[in-house]
Amino acid sequence: MAEHEQELLAIIKNHAVGVSGDLTRDTPVADLGIDSFAIVEIVYEVEEKLGVEIPFNANQNPFGEMKTVGDLLDAVQSLMKQS
Amino acid sequence: MARRVVVTGVGAVCASGATAPEFRRNLEAGVCGIKKKTFAPGDGLSATVSVAPVEGFEERAAALGRDIARTDRFTQFAVAAADEAVADSGLEIDEALAPKAAAIIGTGIGGAGSQDQAYMAMLQQGRRPHPLTILRIIPNAPASHLSIRFGLRGPAFAISSACASGAHAIGVCADMIRAGAAEVGLAGASEAVLSYGPLEAWRAMHIMSDELCRPFSKNRKGLIIGEGAGILVLEEYERAKARGAKIYAELAGFGMNADGKDMINPAVEGATGAMREAIKTLDIGDAANVYINAHGTGTLMNDPTETKAIREVFGADADRLIVSSTKSMHGHLLGAAGGVEAIAALMALNEGVIPPTINLDEPDPACDLDYCPNEAQRRRVDVALSNSFAFGGLNAVLAFKRV
Repeated sequence: MAEHEQELLAIIKNHAVGVSGDLTRDTPVADLGIDSFAIVEIVYEVEEKLGVEIPFNANQNPFGEMKTVGDLLDAVQSLMKQS
Repeated sequence: MARRVVVTGVGAVCASGATAPEFRRNLEAGVCGIKKKTFAPGDGLSATVSVAPVEGFEERAAALGRDIARTDRFTQFAVAAADEAVADSGLEIDEALAPKAAAIIGTGIGGAGSQDQAYMAMLQQGRRPHPLTILRIIPNAPASHLSIRFGLRGPAFAISSACASGAHAIGVCADMIRAGAAEVGLAGASEAVLSYGPLEAWRAMHIMSDELCRPFSKNRKGLIIGEGAGILVLEEYERAKARGAKIYAELAGFGMNADGKDMINPAVEGATGAMREAIKTLDIGDAANVYINAHGTGTLMNDPTETKAIREVFGADADRLIVSSTKSMHGHLLGAAGGVEAIAALMALNEGVIPPTINLDEPDPACDLDYCPNEAQRRRVDVALSNSFAFGGLNAVLAFKRV
């Protein structure tokens, strides 16, 4: 399991109002119920809780092609590596 | 035939009540919502201030839904009051009506508490502001959230004119309905500045009372800051009548102008002009049936000036009409004052109950009208005015009458 995966999952789950059960890498992003507010909140919480900086710019739509939670985790982790 | 605008729903939250009916009951009973509260954000910072707070609102705000729970308190007040007003009106916003449904919500300052919190976190703990800080503090947050919540896709924006914001919002929304730019609208205002930083800024002006709010009383000590929201459902008259809506009153006149003189001191001519404009098309009838919900801040700047302006407008009739300042009970809601005070004026008109000016225990020769001192009075009201005169010399007066 990649670094921080459990923490990231916990943060995402906290905002995933559309999901009642467990989140896995296969959960479709479309099912999460995440809105525009939640995306910026997730990025903020990841930065605050994991003490990293995510070079996230909403203009670049880094999460545009995500289909599953696994894609989302990979995108966040890739951003974390850039910092 | 000129289009007319009526009020078909009301919603209020402030120190005098969590709902419009509770607000009316407490005004009638002369209940004072003012108390001393300590605001201590840490690091030894502390301010104990007499304010008129809305107590126990947090639980209700959390129940307004996930989106609203994440907004500033001033947006939460607006949503709570708007939910009540829309339910009260029985209005259904369908696809046909949505593009003609407006949301015009005033505020004097906006999300002051969220801004304060963000700055405190930065300066005290070196933390960055929460990423939603901007969306929380922008003055149009209530108008935007109401448009999303109720599917209002007509004109929507905030109006900011300090303590006249609410009256301006209601008056402008009514003008838009009269002009055909909207058929219905949520109109009113919201304010929530009871936070350490904004209160210290207010205290720096040296105009705040350290005990009670005593409008028109010689022993006045200044204004008391309150918080909350007052929202009306405004509707074109024929539409309201056709759907069998309960009609509180017609918003029959609106006067607005600027003193063009001074940022702090109000001018008699400005207040006079705005009141004259508001009533110019009204048949006032017997002045004994006129009620004026005064701006009545309990400051030396306002009270004698407003008294002179009322005398100027009504002449000898000024001694027959009745005036009161409900700020003595719910404090000064700043931008939202015009919202809740419009509801107090509607209460007088609909129920024949004049809410009192409480804490008026020392007559002031410079304030010589009937201010309904200390106890509510039963009286027929045919025309009710709501005066709002803002810092910066911006004036707005609403005139309601029976349909």
